[in-house]
Amino acid sequence: MTHCLPLVELRSTDEPRFGGKSASLGELLAAEIPVPPGFALATSAFREFIAESGLDGRIADALAHVSPGDIDAIGAASHAISEAMRFAPVPDSVREEIAQHYAELAQAAGDAAPPVAVRSSALGEDSQDATFAGQQETYLWVREVDHVCDAVRDCWVSLYSAPAISYRARLERADIEPAMGVTVQLMVDAAVSGVMFTCNPVSGDPSMVAINASWGLGLAVVGGEVTPDDYLVSKITREIVREHINAKQVEYVPDAGGRGAVRHEVPAERRDARCLDEQVIGSLIDVARAVERHFKSHQDVEWALARGGEELFVVQSRPVTALPKREHTPPPRSAIAAVMSTFGADRTKPD
Amino acid sequence: MASSAPAVGAFPSPYAIETPPGCEGWQDMYPYYALFDERRRTTDENRFWFWNSMHFPVPMPAFDAICIDSPYQAVGAWQNRVFAVPPAMGIDYRCVNGYIYISGNPVTDPAKIAERAEFFQKRAGHYYENWNELYAKWRAKMEALIAELGELQVPSLPEYEPDEVVFEHDRNTAFYEVLDCYGRALRLGDLMWQNHFEFLLLGYGAYATFADLCKANLPDIPDQHIAQMVAGIDVLLFKPDSELRRLARLAIDSGADGAFVEGRTPAQIEAELAQTDAGKAWLAELEQVKDPWFNMATGDGLYHYYRSWLDDPSIPYASLIGHIAALRAGEDIDRPTEEIQRERDRLAAEYGALLSDEARGPWGDLLALSRMVFPYVEEHKFFCDYWFLTRWWNKIREFGALLAEHGFLEDGEDLFQLTRHEVATALDELVLTWATGGEALGPKHWPPIVARRKQILERLGEWTPPPALGVTPEAVTDPMTIMLWGVTTERVQEWARQQDGGSELNGAPASPGVVEGVARVVKSVHEIADVRDGEILVCSITSPAWAPIFSKITAAVTDIGGVMSHAAIVCREYGLPSVVGTGRATAQIRTGQKIRVDGSAGVVTLLGGAEGSQSA
Repeated sequence: MTHCLPLVELRSTDEPRFGGKSASLGELLAAEIPVPPGFALATSAFREFIAESGLDGRIADALAHVSPGDIDAIGAASHAISEAMRFAPVPDSVREEIAQHYAELAQAAGDAAPPVAVRSSALGEDSQDATFAGQQETYLWVREVDHVCDAVRDCWVSLYSAPAISYRARLERADIEPAMGVTVQLMVDAAVSGVMFTCNPVSGDPSMVAINASWGLGLAVVGGEVTPDDYLVSKITREIVREHINAKQVEYVPDAGGRGAVRHEVPAERRDARCLDEQVIGSLIDVARAVERHFKSHQDVEWALARGGEELFVVQSRPVTALPKREHTPPPRSAIAAVMSTFGADRTKPD
Repeated sequence: MASSAPAVGAFPSPYAIETPPGCEGWQDMYPYYALFDERRRTTDENRFWFWNSMHFPVPMPAFDAICIDSPYQAVGAWQNRVFAVPPAMGIDYRCVNGYIYISGNPVTDPAKIAERAEFFQKRAGHYYENWNELYAKWRAKMEALIAELGELQVPSLPEYEPDEVVFEHDRNTAFYEVLDCYGRALRLGDLMWQNHFEFLLLGYGAYATFADLCKANLPDIPDQHIAQMVAGIDVLLFKPDSELRRLARLAIDSGADGAFVEGRTPAQIEAELAQTDAGKAWLAELEQVKDPWFNMATGDGLYHYYRSWLDDPSIPYASLIGHIAALRAGEDIDRPTEEIQRERDRLAAEYGALLSDEARGPWGDLLALSRMVFPYVEEHKFFCDYWFLTRWWNKIREFGALLAEHGFLEDGEDLFQLTRHEVATALDELVLTWATGGEALGPKHWPPIVARRKQILERLGEWTPPPALGVTPEAVTDPMTIMLWGVTTERVQEWARQQDGGSELNGAPASPGVVEGVARVVKSVHEIADVRDGEILVCSITSPAWAPIFSKITAAVTDIGGVMSHAAIVCREYGLPSVVGTGRATAQIRTGQKIRVDGSAGVVTLLGGAEGSQSA
């Protein structure tokens, strides 16, 4: 059975097997949007892991006495399951596939042990569910097959975090077997990274792209650890319509030891400096337009600008779910009716 | 909160404004009804008045006050009595220390509004439905009016009337001819103002409606994109400058360009051109271009000293010298019309595609309507404010010359220090004493009045008018005030906040980009020549005739005006950041001061203290 596929081979129809993140990255690649190369693990890999390690019985036992409000019981169950999972080996069949695809990435990157990002790829469209369900794990700057397998397993373990168990218990779905996919992608050593919306999420204006950007890897922006630079840019002319350059106190950079990311203070001379120039903003707008065109809906796009080069990558894209409900004023009946209203001539005497 | 806040709202009461020292008696320059009079205090003190610095940035000379009365008579007639704009009658004005404050008269009775709406729908509907046909008639009407003005002959006062009076029995005596001619000159001016406003409200209204619909659907759309989608490509107002570019190229092609040396006067250049065949041919071509394209004013037309390029060719010649230098340097000086056209269509297509299916239809129709009315919006300035008005002032100057010839004035230009009624009085005495042969009192009466008023006007020019007077309105609802002056609730609140001063000025973001630099405050057209390379222009409002300085400046800031204003349009074409409608930039910024202009956000920041003085 095949558990892994290169991202480039995935399409949205693969979402039930590989999760939303992997499927959407496959779509982006199909649309020729720059995405770092990588591969995806299907939910079958997780099931094989549970089956082969004989964990199903222990998980069922641990969850047997859990009720939604019982925080202590949930904590104990989470602890027991997580510990058990961490000591179980990744099945050889899965491990071999990971090794094979990682080797292909290594070849493409020209690096024997290239750093990758390992992320959970949740099932289901609703990202808020995914957040509760603990399916938002990210491990950055992971090198070598052993560590990639560990990170994959850590993603799986997150399915049994206390909040995840609690969430499923509240839904009265403690019985169903949770599952998730995993995305493994070459790391981008980002000089600048951030998030953009293909519309203004505040006003709902579809002609704007709202960009948040800060120094270093995307963690700081996504995790809300910095107040990023804030740009509102016309999708149509690429003009910056509004911008706020903020003091960016911290950034994440690859650890000097070559493994993992570390957080440090942004040096004073860069702290208040704008982190995007007009050229990069222009490229971001191109990407935003391409992503929106491809998905035919407004997207929330995580991006990274590679250090040392001008290369821009999309590392994640998902639909914008919560747009402001704008006051819906019905469009005028006609141009003349609208002009009449401007002059206050739309109110006539009742007959 | 300032403890010295005036009792009535955040703006001073119009009755609390003091006469600047040395300006006592300024009221005599204006009609009694133009003043904040005690007999009308209860009403006037409780209204909101804003300084119309868009049209009247400097104190009004006595004669020029005709350019307040006539426009407000005309705009009120169309708005209130012809079209009956339902919630707004006409606009009242008052003069304070020579500056003009205005306030709209609202209609508040719902029954009255409904009654007026019926008139408006029928009458405005007729104009929109027949716009192109009516506008073609309008242009013909204006050209005929301008021709009639040209034919008006100001008579001289002969020692003896010619034989024809007796033997042909077909003409009047000079006393009557002088008085009649003066009356006709004034009436032709009134007629121009009537025409000026015939289409104005409806033209701006269609555009404002389109802008509102854009913003309802695309809340962050920059105003300049709306203007770009509507603005004409082949607009009359760009024609004078494009003719200059053509003449510049002709000069180079024919080898006549050697005469165009920086620092030479037009007369010196023309003298050199006259010495060669190529130069003569060029001058002949220039003569062809002059009518009508040199009927551009050097300012926005409402003051007598805004002469035309015909009267003062230094602006077109400065432009020619610049164009020739640019051509020699291999630059492309052509206005990129194709690119502007392409961008205009692209914006319209892309924005249209973002709209909902139900909004797209009316939006497209409104865009088409706005484009239909726009030629008038841009071109009426050329016909009325420049072509007619510069010639009209010259006609009035002939009466000044007549009065000066007979000693009533020391100089013909002094006429403009008298009101139009005083001029009529002076002419009355002139023709009377010409007829009787008696001693005229005028030569002793008028010159001291003129001298005093010149002094007063100069002092009033140093006074800074507050942006508004009277009661701060909770909301600005008058569609005309919003549409024509860009005076919105937000703008008024901003002015109110700025009453205490402050280091930031807010206005409308008219042309994007951020620039820091040294400010050059230009309060009147006479100071244009002071503008240096790289400075930021700070002015009340600019006119198309200022075009040559836009190649020198790095940004522009104005007191009043929206994104449709000339400064905004030109800045976008030149790619210069611009903030318009700041309310008091010319009052708060000093020449030499360092400022930052953020044309994307609409913010002007004053950086550090003034390094120079206000006057050059």
